[in-house]
Amino acid sequence: MGTRAQRGALAPGGVVGDGRYRLLAQFGIDERAGAHLWRARDGQLRRDVALTMLVGDPADPEAALLGRRTLERAAHAATFEHPGVARVLDVLSLGSGISSSEGLLGIVVAEWTKGTDLIDLVAERPVEPGAAARMVRALAESVDQAHQSGLVLGIDHPQRLRLTPDGRLRLAFPGPLPDATLRDDVKALGSVLYLLLTGRWALPGGPPALPPAPKSPTGRIVPAKSLQPRVPPELSALSVRTIEDGDHGGIRTSAAILRALDHAAEAAERAKQAQAEPAEPDGSVWTTKKPTKDKARRRKLALGVTALVCAAVAVLAWLGMMAINFFQDDGDTSGPPVNLADPPAQQQDGGQNNGNGQNNGNGNQQTQTGRPVQPSEITVYNPEGEGDSPSDAPKATDGDPATVWRTDLYKQQLPALKRGVGLLATFDESIDLSKVRVIADSPGTEVEIRTSDSPNAPLDATEVVGQGKLDDINTTISLDQPVDSTHVIVWVKTLGGEEPELNSEFGEVKFLPSA
Amino acid sequence: MPAPEGQPPRGPQARPTPPPLPPEPDATVYIPPRSARWPGIDPDVQGPYDELATQMMPRILDGPRHTEIGERLPAVGVDERAEPEAEPQPAAKKQSLAKATGRMAIATMTSRITGFLWKVLLAWVATLGVLYDSFTVANTMPLIINELLLGGVLTSVVVPLLVRSQDDPDGGESYTQRLITMAITILGIGTIASTAAAPWLTSLLMDDSGDANPQLATWFAYLLLPGLLFYGLFAVLSAVLNAKQIFGPAQWAPVVNNLVIIVTIIAFALVPGDPTIVPTTMTDPQVLVLGLGVLTAMTAQALFLVPALRRAGFRFKWNFGLDERLKEFGGLAAWILGYVVVSQIGMVINTRVLTAGAAGGASIYSNAWLLFQLPYGVIGVSLLTALMPKMSRAAADGDHRRLVGDLSYGSRLTTLMLLPVSAVMAVAGTSIGVALFALGKGSVEDAERLGQALAVSAFGLLPYALVMLQMRVFYAMKDSRTPTLIMVVMTVVKIPLLYLAQALLSPTHVVLGVMMVNSLVFVVGAVLGQVWLWVKLGNLRSKRVVGVILFTVVASVLGAAAAAAAGMLVPDFLGIIGGAWVTLILQGIVGMGVSFGVLMALKVDELAPVTRRVTRLLGRG
Repeated sequence: MGTRAQRGALAPGGVVGDGRYRLLAQFGIDERAGAHLWRARDGQLRRDVALTMLVGDPADPEAALLGRRTLERAAHAATFEHPGVARVLDVLSLGSGISSSEGLLGIVVAEWTKGTDLIDLVAERPVEPGAAARMVRALAESVDQAHQSGLVLGIDHPQRLRLTPDGRLRLAFPGPLPDATLRDDVKALGSVLYLLLTGRWALPGGPPALPPAPKSPTGRIVPAKSLQPRVPPELSALSVRTIEDGDHGGIRTSAAILRALDHAAEAAERAKQAQAEPAEPDGSVWTTKKPTKDKARRRKLALGVTALVCAAVAVLAWLGMMAINFFQDDGDTSGPPVNLADPPAQQQDGGQNNGNGQNNGNGNQQTQTGRPVQPSEITVYNPEGEGDSPSDAPKATDGDPATVWRTDLYKQQLPALKRGVGLLATFDESIDLSKVRVIADSPGTEVEIRTSDSPNAPLDATEVVGQGKLDDINTTISLDQPVDSTHVIVWVKTLGGEEPELNSEFGEVKFLPSA
Repeated sequence: MPAPEGQPPRGPQARPTPPPLPPEPDATVYIPPRSARWPGIDPDVQGPYDELATQMMPRILDGPRHTEIGERLPAVGVDERAEPEAEPQPAAKKQSLAKATGRMAIATMTSRITGFLWKVLLAWVATLGVLYDSFTVANTMPLIINELLLGGVLTSVVVPLLVRSQDDPDGGESYTQRLITMAITILGIGTIASTAAAPWLTSLLMDDSGDANPQLATWFAYLLLPGLLFYGLFAVLSAVLNAKQIFGPAQWAPVVNNLVIIVTIIAFALVPGDPTIVPTTMTDPQVLVLGLGVLTAMTAQALFLVPALRRAGFRFKWNFGLDERLKEFGGLAAWILGYVVVSQIGMVINTRVLTAGAAGGASIYSNAWLLFQLPYGVIGVSLLTALMPKMSRAAADGDHRRLVGDLSYGSRLTTLMLLPVSAVMAVAGTSIGVALFALGKGSVEDAERLGQALAVSAFGLLPYALVMLQMRVFYAMKDSRTPTLIMVVMTVVKIPLLYLAQALLSPTHVVLGVMMVNSLVFVVGAVLGQVWLWVKLGNLRSKRVVGVILFTVVASVLGAAAAAAAGMLVPDFLGIIGGAWVTLILQGIVGMGVSFGVLMALKVDELAPVTRRVTRLLGRG
């Protein structure tokens, strides 16, 4: 077919009309007339125009005749002025403005209408009924005016219409079909209303982008109301009655549509007042939002969401921190014993690469003690009993206060069952102990620092060199005077907690030699 | 038969004339409100000399004007060539603009890279320990004070007026003189007062119950706070240059700053004495070299702009007095000032909690945060720079549909680009930390801690980028109140969570908790931003955004799983750092490859323009 063959020429950037109009973007095709709808740039007047280009084979006399008829009707329309119709600026026909090689039968040039495509408008969801009625009313006025002067506008294709920024429908691409009648315009009004309310096109020959209106088994169009429950019955009936050629009370003139629209608008207004809802602000005439969600309600909802999110995040944060603690503990106990930095005695270098740094503690550190000495072995010292998690003993010197060694749970305070339990630290070389620092969250616990000569010495063979109470998290037990020893016992004399649930725990134990 | 041809439009209904050709008369009046600067005012950027490059990004005054063509696809589809071919003149202009943007991108990248380099260098030389912590805290002080004194006012009032004043009869000369006079006065007083109050500032920012060393920080503060004068002056002068459409010097000045700091750090390493030992006096050579070097860098950064200013024909004269026009902006400035104050409060608490933890907290946090931001800085900012003029235009036209469209498009693209990155970051975080920070004297443990901090917070990358996008939309709509209120809520959530982290976590892990809290707070911010935009704009097409997020999450999870599996293949004999590098590269390639492969297999529409952009970029490069 000729039209297909020529389509390649109509691409953005191409020129038509003796090079005057440069094509910018295509806005649709009215397949019924082979009319391609384009936005173009008028190179002479440097303004944008809307082109309705009739594509066809000029050699086909019948097509040429039909094309001429459309152009004539468009030229008539050039005398018609109404805000609802884009003004026709020029009509180009074969031989006057178009050469036969362009594959075009004619072009209707109209002023460009800013705004939105109808298809885009209904793409997301149908238009709110009140706004739809207002939009169609503007178009119906121009149809009414045109009909009074005997003109057919040819609005029966959704892509020929555009919605202006002030919320009016406008015929943007004029050029009626050769056989279009006044009745077609009226039916088109009903169909546009149907489109806005439901997002479906009810007349034959609509663009493929729009789904056609569903039909009932009897071949009649399903009312808009049954597709979209929000549509008021007046509007639903109006659209169907206008589209159908039928018998019972069909609407056949634009004047009748205008009256019916006014009726429907009044009814909608009354319904709205009955619901006592605040009137919509003016700016939202044609927004696509649901009418029930007005600003105040949204704000309340937003405040609710705010509170909810804050709470959720607080919970998440807590869980996350628990997870960090959990994983880090895991990692520390299973991994090699790294000398991780801990709060009271801090080294710059994490103790990894500067093991001999004697004076690299910061200002917080007491000058009379040296760096804590790591015992070569730490075990549970339990001369009068068993248990008390011997396997967890290394957690007291692993550099992480969050990992703890814990005694069993006792029902009675010491020394009911036994005199006590403790941790025995063994040093390879004798340590000149001056202080022991215990980090533990175990208030009430009383400890003694004892020294011993052998790892398995009975309690009585050990010597008490200092004692303290672990009421704070961070307790430093100073020895009366430094003691030289290879075995140091941190002996729990009194358990923390209250009967019948008594136990003690050490997060971290540090042995500080005198400097 | 033909209608009048070539005849001027008749009657009162004559259609408006097409947009005039450039230079458009309203181009100088139109100010994309604070567009490029906002991501810079980030409460949590510490020591961000390099950030200024993006903060002061030029406002593209005569950028391509938004047209409806090609904006969204019309029913039949549109060819991209339409616009340039139809309007050849703007096309030429656009190209030169693209070239300028390209040059700017190089400068920005260079300053980012050098800025990052010196931070890493310092970590190698001085370790992520007490000294670096103290330096970091002291180094943020001039920034905080500058932000409070100038930051908000500069963006909200001074810069817009500066642009407008270019139309004055004297080309804005007297306004600029007044502005610089005012800035020097305020900054001078601020500098003297803050230097005198350095010990107090340190005690405000640092919690001395932890390992931090406030004494050392105070010494650094004495040395660095005088730089406030130059730091603030640099901000003002680059704004002046930008208003005169001179972008280069302000872009390259941070590079100068960074280079001076790098030289300083080399000197610091060469000074006799162990740099990891905490100095005991202020006159210790280490303290002096580092402090004075960075001060010099700040000075050099500001002075670098002076020749350019002279070449532009500007002569400075003391000129006291206020411009009448300043008064119009009162309301706007108040809210932005509120934003700045609130965000700085959040930052102070942040620093206090960090310094209450184990040593290295502040420096690890600052570097982790820098790494965290990096993907956003590269991908997010460049996307935003392309979108922002469009969105400002749409907002100025009151065209909410288009604004929502751009916002949704921007959110979707950001999601696609950043979620896979954050998945890889979460998996490879530790490797990143070790690969970058375990060199030199840096210890593997600290580097691992840094990497873990990065990993636990990686999920916040997308929310962070979304918050930045949303804030820009609010400001484009001339709403400075909502961002401030969102910031207030974020800070209100953040502070108790920070203290919770301090209470629950062991001192060594506080920094992980703080990073995670920050990310969570951005989740709050992103949800709030979306909700309040919905209040203002109606339907935001969030469904599509959520759809893309879900697709991308699936792809990213698969990518992360693949990356984790790939990480196990790395052999042990490479050593810690070598292994980290290999792991990082392998996981990066596998993770990103799988993520984007899955996304392509899922046929996510939004990916098409991105691949096109990338191929075009490659073609140009």
